[in-house]
Amino acid sequence: MAPVALNHYLIVAVLLFAIGFFGVLLRRNVIVMFMCLELMLNAVNIALVAFSRFNATAGHPMMDGNVFVFFVITVAAAEVATGLAIIVALYRRRGTVMADDLSSLKK
Amino acid sequence: MLIILLCPLLAASLIALFGRLRGRMAAALSVLSAGVQMVLTLRLLFGGWDGAPFHETVRWLTLGNLTIDMGFYFNQMSALLLTVVTVVGFLIHVFSIGYSDHDEARGRFFGGLSLFMFSMTGIVISENLFMLFVFWELVGFCSYMLIGHYLTDVASAAARKAFVVNRVGDFGFLLGIIWCFWQFGTVSLADLPAAMVAAPMTAASLTFVGLLLFCGVVGKSAQMPLHVWLPDAMAGPTPVSALIHAATMVAAGVYLLGRLSFIFNPATLQVILVVGLCTALYSAICAFGQNDIKKILAYSTLSQLGFMVAAFALVGGMEGAGTSQFHLTTHAFFKALLFLGAGSVIHACHHEQDIYNMGGLWKKMPFTFGTFLVATLAIAGVPFLSGYFSKDAILLLAWHNSHAAFYILAFASLMTAAYMGRIIFVAFMGSARSEHVEKARESRFDMVAALLLLAVGAALAGYTGLYPAVLGEYLHANVPHPEGAEHTMMLVLSAALSLGGLLISFLLYYRPGRKLDTLERTAPGLFCLIRSKLFFDEVYRYYVNKVQQRFAAFVAFLELVIIQGAIVRGSGGVSGLVGIAMRRAHTGSLNSYLYWFAAGVLIFWLYSSGVL
Amino acid sequence: MPEVLFYLFAAMTLVPALLMVASRNTVNCAMLMIVSFVGTASLFALLQAFLLTVLQIMVYAGAIVVLFLFIIMLLDVGRVRAVRGGAGKLVCALVFFVALAACPVLAILSSRGGAAPVGEAVPAASSAANFGMLLFTKYQLPFELTGFLLLAAMVGVIYISRRAPAAEPSEAPEAVEK
Repeated sequence: MAPVALNHYLIVAVLLFAIGFFGVLLRRNVIVMFMCLELMLNAVNIALVAFSRFNATAGHPMMDGNVFVFFVITVAAAEVATGLAIIVALYRRRGTVMADDLSSLKK
Repeated sequence: MLIILLCPLLAASLIALFGRLRGRMAAALSVLSAGVQMVLTLRLLFGGWDGAPFHETVRWLTLGNLTIDMGFYFNQMSALLLTVVTVVGFLIHVFSIGYSDHDEARGRFFGGLSLFMFSMTGIVISENLFMLFVFWELVGFCSYMLIGHYLTDVASAAARKAFVVNRVGDFGFLLGIIWCFWQFGTVSLADLPAAMVAAPMTAASLTFVGLLLFCGVVGKSAQMPLHVWLPDAMAGPTPVSALIHAATMVAAGVYLLGRLSFIFNPATLQVILVVGLCTALYSAICAFGQNDIKKILAYSTLSQLGFMVAAFALVGGMEGAGTSQFHLTTHAFFKALLFLGAGSVIHACHHEQDIYNMGGLWKKMPFTFGTFLVATLAIAGVPFLSGYFSKDAILLLAWHNSHAAFYILAFASLMTAAYMGRIIFVAFMGSARSEHVEKARESRFDMVAALLLLAVGAALAGYTGLYPAVLGEYLHANVPHPEGAEHTMMLVLSAALSLGGLLISFLLYYRPGRKLDTLERTAPGLFCLIRSKLFFDEVYRYYVNKVQQRFAAFVAFLELVIIQGAIVRGSGGVSGLVGIAMRRAHTGSLNSYLYWFAAGVLIFWLYSSGVL
Repeated sequence: MPEVLFYLFAAMTLVPALLMVASRNTVNCAMLMIVSFVGTASLFALLQAFLLTVLQIMVYAGAIVVLFLFIIMLLDVGRVRAVRGGAGKLVCALVFFVALAACPVLAILSSRGGAAPVGEAVPAASSAANFGMLLFTKYQLPFELTGFLLLAAMVGVIYISRRAPAAEPSEAPEAVEK
């Protein structure tokens, strides 16, 4: 087998991103859409860490990508909390979590 | 100088703002401004101006390398015309006080008169062609306003006709001005002669420029073929006809010829001569076919204008200018007098204008008759009155330069005497032919005073010795004088023509009590032909209705479809369509937003990787 | 060996993701998500970002998914059709999926420098220390701001998920503090 290179990781990240997006497009349940969103964030994390790893040398470990991922995880956590709170409030007001029914912006 | 120009403007604006309803105040204001103008002009002339040209400019507009100044260029020629305008104008203003005493719109009338005085003065003292053109148009507007003063359909149509026909001439005039500017770089009347030498044009293009500038004269001074508006303009009040269409505005064209005398080369002058002669002859013939006293006088004006234009074109240059200006001066006096006399008659006969309904007025209105007679004799060219001197000069010039022109002008003079005699013998002599005329009485004192003063002018204006020094020497230098044997020949000739014409008209027309024109009775075919004026009006009307209106309708249709439809509504429609399309994106559905989002990301990706 | 591991972990990440997209049961989705996150963490470990591995499991798989499960069970959704109906919509989404996947892959494959194999291993012991050093020096400001962010998120969540004032105070799930 070929040694694993940066491209491999990047392709994994891309595929994960596409799958996540696919899920967001297809699913009707808002909570599940949200979960697919997390998949996309994950994909980005993988890519970042891969870049960070492949630009490091023995004397110069490049940790910037990792730090970035650290922050992404943190923010993702905050975002999930807030988003779910909104979904709960929405459910209380509308009684549904189906995205099709949440269409009051429609003409 | 500035005061002379601006005083009537002030009067006009005051009238427009305050005096529309107060007729008497408006009249007083207008007459006052005309009087001030006259006094200042006379003071200028008698009080020590040595005749040197007076030139003063102020920058008005600068567009790129085009600069338009406003200014005065005052030389002897302009002094002459200014005198005419102010003196005759003042007298006509005085006359109008009496004439307009029944008129409800008196304020408007005098406002128009004042505005006209302003515009005419502007033309006289203009320094460059652009400024002259501005005032030219202003005068045209005043003419429109005043012709249509009685707000009847006939008057409005006549006013429109005057303005439109004038416009046609002005179009050529404007083209000439632009070409002039393009070629010589300046339109200043003072600087043009020098500029012409510096940047000479080819003979052909110089001819063409001259003809274009002449177009303005054709329109304003009613030469053929643009003469059709002047007879119709008689629908306006008589003082208006006197001031504008006899003495001054129509003379503006002749004045322009004089101002631009250096620009016309022999070829152009040939054309101008032909036009002038045709006009003179044609109008003289047409005058026999009219029964309305004002229309006869209108054709008489046309004829005399033809004389002036032909006089200029016989020689060109300063001599031609001088001769035509001289005839202009004398013509102003006697024509104004004729019109005012006619106005007096019309006013007294309760707005009766057909001479075949008048008669026997010599007993009832002696002063009017007397002054009218003086004017008729003057226009006929009876020796020792003013008309004799100026017409004499023209005939002399013709004899020296073109015998064909001489014969035509002589014949036209004969006819002039004849048709003017017709008025005298039909309208004044004999006995009254209708009831209103029975009850006519002499006009008010101020009207008669104006008539008398004008009569003095008509009688004496030919004696250049009486003029103030500056004008006198100008005229003396530029108007040909007969000497010796020529002198006697001219005297005899003029006497023959004028008295002969009067005799002819006496024989033909002195039929007291008859209501029908002699010619109409005896040679109805000929009379009809004359009265038809060679169908000019009919041809023009056909052209306007059939050709021009259709074209205009077609253009309007194009405008509706293309400009309004495709461009205006079209661009609005396209925006609307785009809006509708864009609105489809705002569905309110999360799903579709996601699709749009993905599409955007894709496009960015593709673009950044160089595929797109 | 590393290659095999890589492919294994990659599969562990991608397959549950796909299944998650297709699954009908919401709780199943959450469980599959956990597996996917663990796969991601393993990939991190392969990339020698050990601190992140742990963080990923702790925060993502531990807290976030738990939060999801709480909400799923709170809002009792019931048996509803999971996926958007219509073959047309499916095809459309597939098209987009392929496009979204293919374009970057092409971009990646056509770029230089990505095919080089992994460099020397970074000393594991200094990994966390280096990380901390970077975090507290170069990225000190974002670190503090993140603290603020979490505070704001917490306050916001509490406020949003309140019931109407007249009703009883809610037992809104609070954000698990990092």
